[in-house]
Amino acid sequence: MIPWGYTVPAVAAVVAVVALELRVLRTGLFRKPAYWAAIVIVTGFQIPVDGWLTKLSHAIVRYDPRHLTGLRFPWDIPVEDFLFGFALVTAVLLMWERAARKEDTR
Amino acid sequence: MGKLEYLAVLGLCVLVTLPLELAGARVYRRPGRLVRAILPVALVFLVWDGIAIAGGVWDYAPESLTGILAPFGIPLEEVLFFVVIPICGILTYEAVGLIVPVVRRLSSRRVRR
Repeated sequence: MIPWGYTVPAVAAVVAVVALELRVLRTGLFRKPAYWAAIVIVTGFQIPVDGWLTKLSHAIVRYDPRHLTGLRFPWDIPVEDFLFGFALVTAVLLMWERAARKEDTR
Repeated sequence: MGKLEYLAVLGLCVLVTLPLELAGARVYRRPGRLVRAILPVALVFLVWDGIAIAGGVWDYAPESLTGILAPFGIPLEEVLFFVVIPICGILTYEAVGLIVPVVRRLSSRRVRR
C-alpha cells in the first residue's frame, strides 16, 4: 500500500520547493555554499530535536503507521521527517532571499 | 516536564541559536524580512499540519502539550514550531554566510603560497 498520508506529501514538498526555485524564483540559493553548509548543520541538529519528539518510548508526535514507510533512522525518527525538514528550511531560505532582493530594488 | 515539554524543546532551540544573532547573523534585527520569509511558508505547512491532524496521519501526546489550540485543532506548539525552526534555519544560514568569505580568503591565500 502506498503511504499517502505522509511519505507522498513529503516527497511532493521537496519536489515542489526545488521546482519553485528552479522555475519561478531563481534566487541562486542552490549555488551558494552557505546554503548547503546550513542544510548539513540544520539536519545535524534535527536529529536530537526530532529524535526527542518522535522517540517511541515517549513520543510527543505520534504517527499512524499506515501513512509512513515505517523506516525510522536514526533512533525512531521517520525518514519522511528529513524530507519535511529539508522542504521547510529550503522554502524559508528561498523566501528570505527573495525578501532581500526586494529590499535591494527598493 | 509534563505539559510544557514540547514548549521547552522549542525554547531550547531558540536559546541554542541565539548566540548566532549576537555573533552578527542579523536575523532578529531584520523583522520585516523575517516575517516575509516565515509567514507564507508557515501558512502552507500549517495547512498541511491541519489536514494531517484531521486525517489522523499524526497526532500529539496530550500529556506533553499545554493544551492550547489554534484553529483547526492545531496545537499552539505546532504554530510556534513553524516560527522557531525557520528562525533557527535562517540564523544558521546567515552565520555560515559570515564564515564563507573568511574560509575563501584563507584557502586562496594557501593556494598562492
